[in-house]
Amino acid sequence: MITKEIIDHIEGEASLYFEMQEKRVDFVTVVFPHFRGMENMLKGKSALDALVITPRVCGICGHAHLMATVRAIEDAYKNSGHPIEVSNKAQNMRELTLTLEIIQNHLKWLYLVLIPQLNNFENITLSLTPLKGAYGASLATKALAILAGQWPHSSYMIPGGVTSDPTYIELMQLRAHLEKLSDFLEKETLGTTVQNFLSFESCKNFNKIASDVSSVEQALFDLRMHKKGFSHDDFIVLGEHRFTQIAKSRATRLYNVDITKVHVEDAFSPQEKSYAKNALYKNAFYETGPLARLISKDVKLIKNMHRRYKDSNYTRAMARIYEMVYLLQHSLDLVKEIDITQDSCTKSVTLSKVTAQGIGVVEAPRGPLIHKIKLKEGIIERYEIITPTQWNISSGTKLKPSPAQKAMIGLNKQDAEFVFRTFDVCSVCTTH
Amino acid sequence: MHLNTETKPKLLWLQGVTCNGNSHSFLNLESLEQLLDKFELLYHPLLASTFSLSEITSLQNSCDILIFEGTYDPEFTRNNIPLKEILPYYALHAEYIIALGTCASFGGMFQSLAPERNSGLLYKVEEEGGPLIAYKKRVINLSGCPVHPEWLATTLQMLLAKHTIVVDDLQRPRELYSSLAHHGCTRNEYFEWKVDTKGFGLKEGCLFYEQGCRAPLTHASCNTILWNEVSSKTRVGTPCFGCTEPSFPRTNYFQTKTNMSIPQDVPLGVSKRAYLTVAGMAKTFHIKRLEGVLIDYKRDH
Amino acid sequence: MAKITKEERKNGIISAALALFSQKGFYVTTIPDIAQKVGMSVGNFYNYFSSKEILAKELILYISDYLGKNLREINMKEITTEEKIQEIVSMYFKMASDKPEMIEYFLRVYLSNREVFGSDCAGMICVSSFVTEMMIFFEEGVAKGDLHNQDFFSAFGLFMGYLGGMVFLFGEALLPEPLKEYEESISLNIYNALKHRD
Repeated sequence: MITKEIIDHIEGEASLYFEMQEKRVDFVTVVFPHFRGMENMLKGKSALDALVITPRVCGICGHAHLMATVRAIEDAYKNSGHPIEVSNKAQNMRELTLTLEIIQNHLKWLYLVLIPQLNNFENITLSLTPLKGAYGASLATKALAILAGQWPHSSYMIPGGVTSDPTYIELMQLRAHLEKLSDFLEKETLGTTVQNFLSFESCKNFNKIASDVSSVEQALFDLRMHKKGFSHDDFIVLGEHRFTQIAKSRATRLYNVDITKVHVEDAFSPQEKSYAKNALYKNAFYETGPLARLISKDVKLIKNMHRRYKDSNYTRAMARIYEMVYLLQHSLDLVKEIDITQDSCTKSVTLSKVTAQGIGVVEAPRGPLIHKIKLKEGIIERYEIITPTQWNISSGTKLKPSPAQKAMIGLNKQDAEFVFRTFDVCSVCTTH
Repeated sequence: MHLNTETKPKLLWLQGVTCNGNSHSFLNLESLEQLLDKFELLYHPLLASTFSLSEITSLQNSCDILIFEGTYDPEFTRNNIPLKEILPYYALHAEYIIALGTCASFGGMFQSLAPERNSGLLYKVEEEGGPLIAYKKRVINLSGCPVHPEWLATTLQMLLAKHTIVVDDLQRPRELYSSLAHHGCTRNEYFEWKVDTKGFGLKEGCLFYEQGCRAPLTHASCNTILWNEVSSKTRVGTPCFGCTEPSFPRTNYFQTKTNMSIPQDVPLGVSKRAYLTVAGMAKTFHIKRLEGVLIDYKRDH
Repeated sequence: MAKITKEERKNGIISAALALFSQKGFYVTTIPDIAQKVGMSVGNFYNYFSSKEILAKELILYISDYLGKNLREINMKEITTEEKIQEIVSMYFKMASDKPEMIEYFLRVYLSNREVFGSDCAGMICVSSFVTEMMIFFEEGVAKGDLHNQDFFSAFGLFMGYLGGMVFLFGEALLPEPLKEYEESISLNIYNALKHRD
């Protein structure tokens, strides 16, 4: 018998159709019931209009969409024979604001999703402080807004760089806010300094601190999440940033990737039409997001976690928490590297001279975000978006399940739904 | 009609076709905890609430304040129940209905996805004709893409304090929408003297003449109530896109529509003759102080 | 005898000055010359215009306002852009025929002797009422889809340069026919040059 559960609080909704076998998940399909048609909306518009439209695909990761759009347009410029240079200053600013969006995302997921969900289990009592998470996230977005003007829905990245021309006032303000965020995390979330946390190499290190993170870690253990939620153990990272290493990995062995081998196919959802398409690489499913990125960067703690607990739900959840701190350190480093003497935006030929295709790939909070653009004299002929949730939460068949499907198989329903949420689902992104 | 504040008013946050931008913007509110303390949150797409989505869509409760985020599409479903059933049910007994965001106010970004049936709660772009038009007096439009959290907080606080909210002819609170996004922009002096910025990426120069800035035509308080308490689009060199107005979304952003080099749209309420006379005069004078960069980092650092 | 108002007095000075500048030239004409023509003392003259420079500037403002007012009337008519061009050309040529001293002042003093005006008439300030109406004409023409969208100065130069050139030839007595005879062909040329292209 197939039962349907509607999951909300995942930046929208999704329906899970469970086939149970003696109270264990035998198979589950995922349906995203909504569809907006934004790729179609972009047709016929000027390329620069995409900078305003694509952030509205998603409220929590719109900034990643902005960056994917600008990269796609700049790629089209290059392919039309008019490469645009982007100064180091602009690149650093872009990377910094992108990182801050990822941090706010993970912080919200920790306090608004993970902790409340853990608390739903019997015998788990964690202190519920969702507004603390929202506050911490607002510190990150405030820092972001110093450079980008506002969050959500900034459009400060344009072909050639950024619109923003900060003085030392903005840069010093930015530093101060990052330090405030850092202090907040240390005091309220980690229970230790950022540096100390990043020096952890073993799960045992968590025993030495007493904080929200250590409580979460303990709870995951108590729920035996280190023995549940195993998936394909294949990962992929596609966005080029200073905090990433583009690669696919089988467990922790890295291999090269070729972006042209990414493709999409219709979801397998016999019970109800799902508008989300599955994303695959060379016809196989890969997991994306913080765990993938940290593995590709060879982060010791995560590798050790993986050695003991593979791609269990424990590893997956802890990786997301860890990445928050990892990227905070990256932000603190990046802000020092912004060279104020450089130009914010380099000029190029007018858009009407651009007739070409372009691809922009960015690591959004949940994994690679791909924007493909086809321009004719600066007007969009075709636009395609592939979001990270399409990788993780594809809906495949029993013989070939997606990362999330595989992770849920063999678990009881409550565990399965918990595992589902640990992938940090973004429904709106996937129903563009 | 005022809220009964002897018990906490019940707040229900519903969504239509949305990106969640307004929900996330709301979470940035500095005094979020204090504000939420004053309400019973029946449902919210991100925060924990009294009821689950399932319970809310079973249409058995009522709320005092209904907040609706997103474009209204009667066929769009939440928990498989279409909005054409959910919305009227809650709107009927709510004391106040807040259309949160341009999508809920006028149709906004997602109106064009199904132009015949999609709309805001009261307006389809500029025409009256949304599903709640019969309840117009109870509907407050807070347009914006997204809405600044302080705009929502101000509105809710005013309702709690039983202050009358005076609205403009688009049902937007005059407190928040009678000034323009242009007021308070750090580039105002450049606007005065018609010193246009060249290209993008400079803090000097006005963005109105060439870069498509809609701030002198847009009702919003973005340069007085700063975004994330620190900044705004125009302060960081991004032209205002006019997102609080029914005409949003527009096309051809980042450039000013000109006819023979003359802006097609001039500041709100200013006649074209007046604007051109003043602009022509201002452009004649070269104020040396306003030409060039204020701080030459290349030279001095 | 009806009392002459200050305004009428002022306009009298303006007409006299324009006539004299046209006959004798700007530099040769003196304040006493003008005062005498109007029938007032030099002292009284200075009550109206405190210097020749001020007078020069007031004259150009006067002419610009005159042209501007006529252009505005044409702009506000509910006629086609092509018809508006005809009316503008007609108005300009009529002024050149009936009040040659005004156009002559504009061409031979304002445009040719900028040093007369100093910084008070920098840029287009002193002809702003006239230029603003031309801007309105062009902007509306493009907005309606009648005129080709191009740089303002390209279009302005074509229109005004053409008319100014014709009036100059007329002033030099080089045109075989009266100005009016050229209105139709000139209007058509201007329209064809500026109209919308596919």
